[in-house]
Amino acid sequence: MSHTALSLLLDFDDQVQRDRDQTPAFLHRRDRRFALDCQQRGIRPDPAQWLAQMHRLSGPGQSRGAGHRALRRWSRVTAGLVATGAALGIVTMLGLLFYDGGQRINVTVILGFVLAHLLLALATTIQAAVGWQPWRWLVRRLGEQPSSAVQARLQPLLMARAAHAGGCAFATLGLVTLLAMVVVQDLAFGWSTTLDTAAGSYHRLVQGIAAPWAGLWPAAAPSLELVEATRFFRAAAGAPAIDPARWGQWWPFVTMLWLCWVLIPRALLLAFSQWLLHQRARHLLARHPDWQALMYRMETPTLDTGNQHNDAHHQPDTATRTELAGLPDTDIVLCWAGAGEPEPPQSLVGPQALVHRAGGRASLDQDEQVLAQIAGALAAARQPSVLVLTRSWEPPTGELQDFLEQAHRAWPAGTAATLVPLSASPGQPPASHLLAPWLRFSERLPAGFVRVALPPTEPRPDYHRGGVPT
Amino acid sequence: MSRTPVFAVVGHPNKGKSSVVATLSQNDAIAIALEPGTTRARQAYPLSVDGQILYTLVDTPGFQRPRRVLQWLQAHSVSASDHPDTVRAFVQQHRDDNRFVDECELLAPIVEGAGIIYVVDGSVPYSTEHEAEMTILRWTGRPSLALINSIGPDDHSQVWQAALGQFFQVVRRFDAVRAPFDQHLSLLRAFGQLEPDWEQPLASATEYLSAQRAQRRHQSAALIARALTDLMAYQETRTLTRDQAEQTRDSVLADQLRERWYRHQRTREQRLRLDIEHLYQHQRIQRQEAELQWHSEHDLFSEDSRKTWAVSRRYLATAGFGAGAVGGAGLDALTLGSSLGTGALIGGVVGAAGSYLYGDRLLPPVLTIGPLRDGLKTARFGPVQDSQFGYVVLGRAVDHWWHISHRNHAGRDLLDLAPADHHWLDNLDKRHRQAIQQAFDRCRKQRPLDDRHRDKLTAAVAAAMAAYEDWRLNRA
Repeated sequence: MSHTALSLLLDFDDQVQRDRDQTPAFLHRRDRRFALDCQQRGIRPDPAQWLAQMHRLSGPGQSRGAGHRALRRWSRVTAGLVATGAALGIVTMLGLLFYDGGQRINVTVILGFVLAHLLLALATTIQAAVGWQPWRWLVRRLGEQPSSAVQARLQPLLMARAAHAGGCAFATLGLVTLLAMVVVQDLAFGWSTTLDTAAGSYHRLVQGIAAPWAGLWPAAAPSLELVEATRFFRAAAGAPAIDPARWGQWWPFVTMLWLCWVLIPRALLLAFSQWLLHQRARHLLARHPDWQALMYRMETPTLDTGNQHNDAHHQPDTATRTELAGLPDTDIVLCWAGAGEPEPPQSLVGPQALVHRAGGRASLDQDEQVLAQIAGALAAARQPSVLVLTRSWEPPTGELQDFLEQAHRAWPAGTAATLVPLSASPGQPPASHLLAPWLRFSERLPAGFVRVALPPTEPRPDYHRGGVPT
Repeated sequence: MSRTPVFAVVGHPNKGKSSVVATLSQNDAIAIALEPGTTRARQAYPLSVDGQILYTLVDTPGFQRPRRVLQWLQAHSVSASDHPDTVRAFVQQHRDDNRFVDECELLAPIVEGAGIIYVVDGSVPYSTEHEAEMTILRWTGRPSLALINSIGPDDHSQVWQAALGQFFQVVRRFDAVRAPFDQHLSLLRAFGQLEPDWEQPLASATEYLSAQRAQRRHQSAALIARALTDLMAYQETRTLTRDQAEQTRDSVLADQLRERWYRHQRTREQRLRLDIEHLYQHQRIQRQEAELQWHSEHDLFSEDSRKTWAVSRRYLATAGFGAGAVGGAGLDALTLGSSLGTGALIGGVVGAAGSYLYGDRLLPPVLTIGPLRDGLKTARFGPVQDSQFGYVVLGRAVDHWWHISHRNHAGRDLLDLAPADHHWLDNLDKRHRQAIQQAFDRCRKQRPLDDRHRDKLTAAVAAAMAAYEDWRLNRA
């Protein structure tokens, strides 16, 4: 089932190539989910199941991937080589058996051809096994570059398999042609060589070659007499005086020679290259870095840290329409929630100032008493105004809003409350980003009631350095 | 009541509750604004493993009327034993009251069994104003932990620590924007200490988070390695017909190809940036990218980048020696070792000499304009022949990765990738230097990298990341 392992590898490689642009988080979720499903069903996930899941989820009509295309391409290459091999097999055999009645068909030539063919077949297998591709330039010129590293690693083996398939066709058609020629023609075989070779030596060589089938078909193993009788020399005038039938007695040997030393080795090498391809595909799949990564994703739980919620676009309106106001001339000061502790800044509080405290640690009852006291003091004022000191870094809360709304109702009409957010660093103005919420806060209160002013950085002119009023 | 631990992150408005949640939940899409009261409804952020929740953080609005709540509670309580019930009664009674919507939102998870994470700003002075809300939280009777988060530059955390110790079981300092990852885990473990049943899920959560971080580091190395090979091997090709070839001057064609090549390289580098950011669940840095100083003054192709990120000639010579020796060793293998390592030596010397001589020149990518053949003419620009280009890309990528991996999700400021002022790659060991150089050489020669080469390059990039981290640590 080498095709299964090969197509599995190519399909897997194709799928992971397509996954390259997916986020790791998505891939992890997807594959972990698959692994958990497998666990529930009591099966161990493997590449085939994983691919089946991917294809199932993609639904019908999914276009076949690069792996499938590569296999089809190699099928076409193999078919082309088989056709070429078949044609070459016929032509080659016709060439080897060319006989016009005036000469002998030299068995030595056939032996040499078979040897060369065998060596080429072995070389094909070896170069594929070690990954050498002397024909790479041809593939490059044809523009048939492998689309991935895996395909590049498989290319020599696929090429070898195609070459052996072509070789098998070559050998088969060569054999068929040989048999046809034997039937339809009177072939005269002989042997000849320029070398000073005795018939005995040649006979031993032939015996050695025929060893695989000598026991099965003795007639296909030439005898010493036949070898001695069928030697010919091109320069010798006329044919030696032997029985003409003897010239034809070589055909079983030639047939078995082709069968056993051309066709069968090719078939064995084809099977070996198929097995090697299968092994290499399995090995590549097992060592595929993306398979290791997939295994990791399947084995590792997915971690969701709670980052789905997105409210980044729901930012509040931070536009501020209100401008800062100037400080009013008033001696009524309210320190809210611990602002101005232990003493309000001298720049804000004159010697006659009435300093009240509310919010923070004070109780709500105390807040109400302060409201009443300030209302009493404001009743006598010509331009009722109150300074409300706050801590700029503690943003305005609902409690201050409640307090000011209550004050708006309790204090005389026309009273202006001026919020003065103090800085944590004495003598420094508050940072603008701390001031902005106070300005927006004043906009939420009854119109015209609350303004915001910056604290002055210089002491009030009616204050001496020693704190004694002038 | 949920059996998995739930932690309600509560506090005064605008004290960084959302920042703490954003960092711990690795969510940079949580609204964090200077405007108080940004959070109006509670929002749960569960941490789940394979869909199973280990713990949940709940971001809540800040207290708005704590004294009024406390007054109500005190008025409805007889003894300390009924305090939790009284708080529950308050929530039930005021669920639809607009004045107490914030208090109900923040107290609801607590009365349902959540632990309390009370957040204060340690950069501003302690205020007794907080005592009302701390008292309310104590009335709930739930396990509690106070977190001193520092938003500003000043430090008043000592005073806060003393005051908070009066109200809470555990007091921890945690800078939501700057705290390193180890502190995140340490804080989560502290959450687990609040109640015996919570210890195990929180311990599991920290283990998973650690494993996730290690995996992200490895994935970052793989992403950078892939981008490096893409950038180093990229070739811009254009095929012209006979008419087009006659109408286009070679110099114009070269300019067009060069421009397209540069644009592609910049786009590819940007894709790497986004890949790394998304890997670390930073989805929103992308919007700020146009403002990065990196791309205006320290562009990938600027001489400035080169001065900053390129490696020294000596570095190149040693890396080149290793890479050349690997090639030369092939000769030794062919001679079955009878050359006694001469091949490796010669290869190493040639590699080192080549790197030393050419390493300091900013070689442009090779431009080849082929002859007119079959009515078509092909012009190619690239791959870049200068391996320093790869080191510039690597340096910038590792620097970006470091900033992203150390950036908390509460951070909203501009990602400022200031160029480093030192050749930190000098700290990389020889084996990994050679692996990087070898990969660059293969890309330069348009030879494909197989899985083994890619694995080696990824390991070398991971080592470079570690070297950069060490250098940062020592520099600091």
